[in-house]
Amino acid sequence: MPKILSADKLDNCIERWKSSGNTVIGPVRKSNISAYRPVEKASEFELDIVLPDLSIKELFFPQTEPILKYAIRKQAIDTTEFLPPSGKRIVFGARPCDASGVAIDDPLFGWDYRDEYWFQRRNETVIVSIACVKADDFCMCTSLNLAPDSTMGSDILLRPINGGKGWLVEEITDRGRDAFASIADLLQESTESPVPPAAVPEKFNLEACVEWLKNPENFESRFWKEISVRCIGCASCTYLCPTCHCFDIQDEGDTYSGIRRKNWDSCSFALFTMHTSGHNPRSTQSARWRQRIMHKFNYFPGKFSLNKCSGCGRCSRQCPVDMGITETLQEISKLLP
Amino acid sequence: MSIEVQYRNRAKELLSNGEVKLVVGYTGGTTPERRRPVFISSAEQVDRLVLDDLCIANLSGYLVTESLLSDEKSVAVFLRPEGIRSINILAAENQLNPDQIVIFGFEPAGNTIKALDGTNALEFSEFVVSLSENPSVSDSDPVIEKLEKMSAQERFSFWQDEFSKCIKCYACRQACPMCYCRRCIVDCNQPQWINTSPHTLGNFEWNIIRAFHLAGRCVECGNCDRACPVNIPLRLINRRMAVEARESFDHFAGLSMTQEPVLASFKKDDSETFIL
Repeated sequence: MPKILSADKLDNCIERWKSSGNTVIGPVRKSNISAYRPVEKASEFELDIVLPDLSIKELFFPQTEPILKYAIRKQAIDTTEFLPPSGKRIVFGARPCDASGVAIDDPLFGWDYRDEYWFQRRNETVIVSIACVKADDFCMCTSLNLAPDSTMGSDILLRPINGGKGWLVEEITDRGRDAFASIADLLQESTESPVPPAAVPEKFNLEACVEWLKNPENFESRFWKEISVRCIGCASCTYLCPTCHCFDIQDEGDTYSGIRRKNWDSCSFALFTMHTSGHNPRSTQSARWRQRIMHKFNYFPGKFSLNKCSGCGRCSRQCPVDMGITETLQEISKLLP
Repeated sequence: MSIEVQYRNRAKELLSNGEVKLVVGYTGGTTPERRRPVFISSAEQVDRLVLDDLCIANLSGYLVTESLLSDEKSVAVFLRPEGIRSINILAAENQLNPDQIVIFGFEPAGNTIKALDGTNALEFSEFVVSLSENPSVSDSDPVIEKLEKMSAQERFSFWQDEFSKCIKCYACRQACPMCYCRRCIVDCNQPQWINTSPHTLGNFEWNIIRAFHLAGRCVECGNCDRACPVNIPLRLINRRMAVEARESFDHFAGLSMTQEPVLASFKKDDSETFIL
């Protein structure tokens, strides 16, 4: 019989998971922003939202992290590597688009070089997603062949039951099964049916757009200039995106000693591709926006057979000038025969 | 005739007779309450222009990006009073030739908007002076009052909390008409003057340097505050700097096209309270 996790048992679950050494993380609103943050008790969660402002990405790929400490002496250079921090974590209440965003990046971080900073965190983290029962004008998972109840990247999928009193438990991976075995006695058998997932209308025909992007003739199309003319070139879309993964390496310190850090970087910035000579192969904002779209829907799928977008819609939702992936792909759809 | 129709007609006329090559205005956005910038370059497209009380963004920054004005042709732009002040500053700082700018001015009036008379920045001189005499700088913002009452230590931790959210996306900078530097100091990396990392030190360095660079130049259009994806109340910093510039130097940013920059000029009777 299906099991449900009752909302009033959530504090017991948190306690149980914490006592076995887990950090429990979930959507929390603090200083007027919602993000995935550690909690002590269930009342800190903010679960009744479409999705948190910041994506889940930072739990696996922080905005900034030290990777190396160095000191230069006369005859030698001393270096100390910082290892990725260790610790089991349970993320409760992730959105399916965030969970799938993380799964989309797995092949990237394990491709030619295995990024232990990413994978250690991945291996030690259980993602418990909650299927969406509400969506807003910017949600577009269904246009990316995903859904408000996708299981991609989730270890457990919870489906809300009527009245907000709990969730129907769907075990997806062994890691999820193990995490929920420790709270098995807190679950109840139930025949209740879940609330249907949110209706998210399809916004564009992805396959047709991808064909257009793949056509080399369209690389120099005037379309790119027209669609991005109002782009102001900030990194809001890339930094809020659960799948944008670019980073920069920075040495901070003086001539003789310092710390090497791995920081988020963005293809929206002119500096991103600036050569030492001063030449910039992507010298205009339209070339930079084209790169972002091409990377997500042409280059990345070509290499990893995955779309580099989970349809969370944060790029459009937060854009200072109301741009985003949805509008661009919708406009491409209009160019199709 | 509504101001929207009136301005569409004017845009049509200017584009048809070649007086301007482009009209920078607003159009509808993703949701009914959103407005987005739009660039209209032919008379047939003027019906896309939308103008109502939801048109808030200061569009003047677009005039100084990607060499828009380098061909010496004119551009029309929809501007609220703050935007007109921005044009004055950009002209005073030699970033644009005001004769190339045709202003479609409007200002909020209750729940609606009303047109402002004039097309060239010079024609708005008296209007801007009247703004300076009745500064909209309202000192009754509850958050400001709360901040003013705090001890320095409390205020420091307030900003520490706020800046800890900064993700260094530079949306504040990119949205700001005054942040036109070809190469921002954080982008100068030979050597790297400012930490680019979004850690406590890096976030303080960035936000404080930006506040100083905007002192006496910010017209409080709110573009940065609205652009910030993590809701840092940047308006509070700029509001404080504006009050400071006013009280210490009787300076109202964007008063005229010949105004001297407050932090790069001096008068004999400047207050010297900061010299011990």
